[in-house]
Order: sequence, then structure tokens, then C-alpha cells
Amino acid sequence: MKKILSPILWLLIGVGIIIAYLTLGKPDTNIITQVRIPRLLLTFFTGMALAGIGSIYQLMLANPLAEPYILGISSGSAFGSILLGISGLIILMPVGGFLGAGLTMLLVWKLAHQKGRFDKSRLLIAGVIAGMFFSAGISLLMYLHQQDTALILGTLMGNLGHIFTTGEWTFFLILTGLSLVILLYLFFQSTTIDILSCGDLYAASLGINVLSLRRKIFILTSIVIGISVSYAGIIGFVGLIIPHIVRFFIPSGQKKIYLLSLWSGGIFLLACDMLAKYLLSMELPVGIITAFIGCPFFMWLLLKKQS
Amino acid sequence: MKKSGLPIIIIIILFTFSCKQSEKNQKKGIVVLSPEVAEIICALNAENEITGITAECNYPPSLQQKKIVGSFSSIDKEAIIALNPRLIFCSSLEQESIALDLKNLGFQVEVIYPESINAMFSDIERIGTLIRRKEAAEKLVKDLKEEKEKIKANSQGKLRPKVYLEIYRNPLMSVSDSSFVGELIETAGGDNIFPRLERDYARINPEAVISAKPDIMICYSQDTLENIINRKGWQNIPAIQKRKIFFEKDINPDLIQRATPRCIEGMMILAKLFEDWQKEQ
Repeated sequence: MKKILSPILWLLIGVGIIIAYLTLGKPDTNIITQVRIPRLLLTFFTGMALAGIGSIYQLMLANPLAEPYILGISSGSAFGSILLGISGLIILMPVGGFLGAGLTMLLVWKLAHQKGRFDKSRLLIAGVIAGMFFSAGISLLMYLHQQDTALILGTLMGNLGHIFTTGEWTFFLILTGLSLVILLYLFFQSTTIDILSCGDLYAASLGINVLSLRRKIFILTSIVIGISVSYAGIIGFVGLIIPHIVRFFIPSGQKKIYLLSLWSGGIFLLACDMLAKYLLSMELPVGIITAFIGCPFFMWLLLKKQS
Repeated sequence: MKKSGLPIIIIIILFTFSCKQSEKNQKKGIVVLSPEVAEIICALNAENEITGITAECNYPPSLQQKKIVGSFSSIDKEAIIALNPRLIFCSSLEQESIALDLKNLGFQVEVIYPESINAMFSDIERIGTLIRRKEAAEKLVKDLKEEKEKIKANSQGKLRPKVYLEIYRNPLMSVSDSSFVGELIETAGGDNIFPRLERDYARINPEAVISAKPDIMICYSQDTLENIINRKGWQNIPAIQKRKIFFEKDINPDLIQRATPRCIEGMMILAKLFEDWQKEQ
């Protein structure tokens, strides 16, 4: 009975949060349809993508610390979008973010291979180094363009208040549609990813083309992360913590873990964004809230598990 | 030891002669790190006393011939020491630490950052006293006060447009009434839609702009008219429907964001925009 009730309860809580997100402060219909729903979609999509991809990376890289940003793609993407933002091309920031993510991914992927062979540790090291390089680039831009600190901080700490123009909105919907197709494809790959986590040899012996599958997954996830950072900036902790929390309740079975991570990531980020908007009279960067709430909750779960 | 002795002596001799003899002359001239103070000093006819400026001090244009000692937030201390000024003017904000450093080096440093029109009046008088232009400063303040009162009186009893000033787009930022520009808008006869914010210049929620329905929008956020018109949910805003959107080319931001005598000119342009709006009502 409990097995059926808990998911339903979590689903209802989620729906409650979505309703509250749309109606808090009694806005008029124009605001709900034109401002809140776009923001809700951006927030939910970002949370979903981060948590879902986080759960895949943790399994594929066999590293509990892995998260969507660990491959440096986020910093590359943030660097690209900030570069265009401070050049006055604010409207083209997502394009810069996308290009930054793509180039970083190609670089990291190239570095992860030694004599044509893929190496997990090399991938992680290459990702961390690329991330550091672009972080330094962002620091340099921040130093040189102090008048644009708000924009740079918005990208580094998450900014879900993106103002869409009608044209931009259509473009965003297309990109989100593409991301959803990728996320769906990744769902169908869950069993294969599960097998892959048992080792390359084992997976290959079952007839899986390990090299091509891994390449496909990294390229596809990078596209989704690039899109998410381009519009929402870097939002930490969601991709790391949500999959771990989900695993407390569902220890194994990537299919279920992935699905629940998608839903929980989206709902968690919605709740954090609501707090970021209403906690103080001034809106806080959402990245601060995700860390402030996510970390203590995670610690509590760890302690509970121990006892 | 013998072999290394000679080169060391030569290096010491070269070093001693290559250093310029420090000028023991008296300190002279004024270094201005704040664009606002530079404008005020020039308005007091003391431009010739300025020996160094920062890159942002761009008005009057003739200032560009002066020695540039860095930019507003990145000052070259050595360049200032080389000029050996008798007085240094700086702003607050990120210049406070440099002010302290220069004070420790024995310079007279004055921090001037007027946050309101009245503070600007008293700061003009203070600058006047410091640069020995007391009478000129008093006269300038008297004239400015008269001009300000005229503008204020002219706006009394008239319909006040709701004004939204956007200073940043991503994230959206605006100004409060306690900021200098907020006060100018109010004095010129407009109603700033964000009277109170946590800071003078702060992040705002786009929903608040849509709900406030501003009649006039001043956009300093580098956005284009086409983009503003197409922002989702902004179509019901009167300023957007009636295309009452003004950019840097319509009203120079330096005229209303800098606390200088030119703010009177800025207020006049604002008052003119508001009057045009009133006529259409």
C-alpha cells in the first residue's frame, strides 16, 4: 500500500507546488499566461534536465560526485553567453551559451581519449580542467566589465527570470522540444546504462556497442546542458543532490531513478525559485537557495540513513 | 668575490643615475577620479587646475587632454604619485579603498558622492571652498536652485505620468526614489513606478512592471525598440502601446544619472517628455 501511496503523494505535492507557483500573489491572466507559464516551463525544464542527467552521469562515470556541470560544459556555456551579453548582444546570449557548450564538449571529448581509447578518469580530469579554464575566463570578463557584474552573477548563480520576446519564446520552445526528445531517448537507454555501469567488457559481451553508446550519451546530454545554461545560468546542487536523494528511496533500477529524478528535479527547482522570489522583498539568485535547502536536507537524509 | 664586485658597483652606479631626482617641489594641481566632480570643477571655471583624470571623466570634452590615471575602478596609484597633486577628489563605491591608500601616502583626499540634489548643492559649495572658488560655487548653487524650483513649480498640479526607468535587462534592474535619478524624475513631474527598493539601483520583478502600467519608459539597458515591443506579456503596458519609449539617444544618461550641474538640463528634457505626454491625454 505504501509503495503505491508515496509516488501518488509526491505527485500531488508537485502539482500543488505548480499551482502555487502560478497563482501566488493573485496575478492577472496576462501575467499568468505570458510571464509565469514561460518561467515555469524554463524552471521545470532546467531542474528536470539537471537532475536527470546528473543521475546518468553518476552511473556512467561510476562517481557519486559526478553532476551535469562536472564536464566543464556549464562553464564553457556560461563563458560563451556572458561574452555575448557584455558585448551588448543580450538577445543572442543563448546562442553564445550553446556555442560555448559545443566547443567545450568537443575539446573535453578529444582529451578524454588516449590513443583512440576512451578513459573515464581522463574525461573527468579534462572536464575539470576545461571548467577551471573557462571560470578563469569568466573572472577576467567580470574584472574587465565591472558594470556588467549583475549579468555575470546572474549567469553564475542562476537567473530564471529570463525575459522572452515572442520570437525568442518560439525558439526556446523548439529547443525545449528537442531537449525533451533527448531526455526521452535517454529514458529508453536506462537499461543499457545500467548494464554499462557494470563494466565495459561485461556490456560489450552482451552485444552493446559501448564506444558509440557513450559518445551518443555525452553528446546528447551536452546539448541539453548547453540549452539549460544558456537560458537559466548555472544552478548548482540540483544535478548532484536530487539523484542521490532519489536513490535513498529507490536504490537501484535506472529507469525508475531517472524518471523520479526528472520529476523531483523540476519540482525542487520550482519550489526553490518560489522561495528565491518571495523570501525577501528582493529576488535572490536561485543557485543560493538550491544550495541552502538541498545541502541540509541531504545531510539530514544521511543521518537518518545511519540511524 | 673580486670578479663579482665590479659588476655590482656598476649596477649600483647605473641605478643611482637612472632614477630621476625626486622633485621636492610643492604639491600642485588636482587629480579627479570621479566624473561628477570633474564636471563640477569645470563648471566652477577651474579646469586648468586639473592635472589628472580617470578615463570616465568625459565632460567637458576638453578634459581629454589631461593625463589619464586609470579607469573609475582601476586606478594607477603610481601615475597619481608622479603628478604629486595637492588635492585628490574621489567618489565612494569602489573608490573608497584607494582613497584610504592615497591618504596613507600623505595626500589630501576628498570623497564626494552626492546621493540627492540637495547633497549635490552642498557638495558643490564644499568643492568650491576646497579649490578656492567659494564665491563662484555659491553663485552656481543659487542659480541651480532657482532653475530647479522653476522646473518643480512648472510641474505642480499637472497630471503625472508613471515612469519606468530600466537600467539593466538581464536581470531586470530599475531605480528607486532615493536614487539621484529617481529624485530627478519626481522633481520633473513624473512618478517613478518603484518608489521604494532595497537599494537605489536594484533588481526588480518583471511582473511588477506589467502590473504598474507605466506611461513612459526610459530604457538604458541597451535593448532595442523591436525587442521591447515583443516582450511577452508587456503588450498591455501603456508606454509600449503608445510607443512612449525613450533611449540614450533621446535623453543622454549622463544628464540624469550624474549628480552635476547638467542635471538641470536633464530635468528639463524629462519635463518636456512629461509635458508631451500630458498633451496627449
